[in-house]
Amino acid sequence: MRAAALGGGLHDLVQGLGSFRLWTLLGWLDIRQRYARSTLGPFWITLSMGVMVGAMGVVYGTLFGQPMARYLPMVGDGFVVWGLISGVLNESCGAYINNANYIRQNNAGLWVYVFQVAWRQVLMFGHNAVISLALMVAFGFPAAGVAWLAVPGFLLLLANVVWMGQLLAILSARYRDVPQMVACLVQIFFYVTPLMWRPDMLHHYRWILDYNPFSALVDISRAPLLGMAPASQSWLVAAGMAAVGWPVAILVSARKLHLIAYWV
Amino acid sequence: MPHIEVENISVELPVFEVKARSLRRELAAMGRRHAMAESGDGCVTVPALRDVSFSLKRGERLGLIGRNGAGKSTLLRALAGIYRPTSGRITSSGRRVPLLDITLGLDDNSTGRQNIKLRGLFMGLGQRWVAEHEAEIAAFSELGDYLDMPVRTYSTGMRMRLAFSIAMTVEADILLLDEVLGVGDSAFQAKAKARLGEVAGRAGIVVLALHSSPAIMELCDRALWLDAGGVRMFGNCHDVVREYDDFMHHRMAA
Repeated sequence: MRAAALGGGLHDLVQGLGSFRLWTLLGWLDIRQRYARSTLGPFWITLSMGVMVGAMGVVYGTLFGQPMARYLPMVGDGFVVWGLISGVLNESCGAYINNANYIRQNNAGLWVYVFQVAWRQVLMFGHNAVISLALMVAFGFPAAGVAWLAVPGFLLLLANVVWMGQLLAILSARYRDVPQMVACLVQIFFYVTPLMWRPDMLHHYRWILDYNPFSALVDISRAPLLGMAPASQSWLVAAGMAAVGWPVAILVSARKLHLIAYWV
Repeated sequence: MPHIEVENISVELPVFEVKARSLRRELAAMGRRHAMAESGDGCVTVPALRDVSFSLKRGERLGLIGRNGAGKSTLLRALAGIYRPTSGRITSSGRRVPLLDITLGLDDNSTGRQNIKLRGLFMGLGQRWVAEHEAEIAAFSELGDYLDMPVRTYSTGMRMRLAFSIAMTVEADILLLDEVLGVGDSAFQAKAKARLGEVAGRAGIVVLALHSSPAIMELCDRALWLDAGGVRMFGNCHDVVREYDDFMHHRMAA
């Protein structure tokens, strides 16, 4: 029974991945729509992130008494990575709710809409990556020997947020409190994940790091950009989450996706 | 060989708004066995279809008739694979092309041309299909320069013409249409009817919901009369429509 459900769910997932032309187009249309008729267009994404990184970096760097050359890249790259995590988690909640008109009109498979959200966020991440580049130009490039680790790190991060996104999309379609709850939790995780502070500033509250899965996800994708190798524990945690999360997401999808048309 | 086999399907639509659709209520009900049993899933369900069965073979054109809320649209959604029936089974083969709600399924901020591509992708058709058929769709829809304007600027009739033209161009084995002939001016309606007959000829199976009895007589050879979610009558188009018209006439007289 469970094996059959897993097989069926996997089939849906593969079918959804196969419709990449559809979800890349839908994701791009969202971006275009959001910045339609503005002069800067999608570069507002870059600009607003740049302003935030600059302002927060300078204020908190001064507050914490940190050298800017070290602190600003850490905050900047951290915000860029966090933008992707929080973007996928928050907006996945609306993946089914906001696409009700398409869902009730087409039978195109439902993974498409979660991939649409993920793709939209990847596009935004692409715009924000300009900031990481600017910080490297200003404060020095990381050694090529570790920098390439950002690629597998980013892919593993993405793999994790997408399975979370699928579960959140299903839950949100059924329980309309979930989007609000997620927004609240993501806000909390923003503060307890080492984005604005360095782990060694924590002293005896290290457990906050050890029990926060998002610090592992941030570590594997940000540390290489700062010229450091991510902790091996971070790789383990991230890979473990994906290994557990994906089967769960596929199983839940196999059981619940057929109800989405009724719930939206 | 396209076919549709519908065996005893029932569809229940949950209406969450009637009772709170919240996690709070569900959590509060946890551990209280009686509350759960009383409220079931915590929501009210509307039986939209009850025990519907019929089958269609290649070349058959089925008209769905019935009053508002009889379950015509729900049945079309179930046939399209969008609603999975609560019980019963639908088996079908061939490419199903639904055109269920002309105002939905188009992206308002994209141009007509972009929407052709979008609808094509939704139906699993690629770039090549769009390239090959764009001119045909443009000509049939008579939208002219409007094809390069955002759909947001279209009138209801123009949207309908675009959506209808796209659906008619897809090589469908099973075509599912919901009240699509109600909109558009009379010249386009005549053209659409002719086109529908043509497409039905090559499509294999057409199922359409219509309010107008003459249109059903003209376009269909089979008819299904739905009443409160159940099949009241299924069979030859003329017999069913005559019976339905008599019934409606008596109701009006009474």
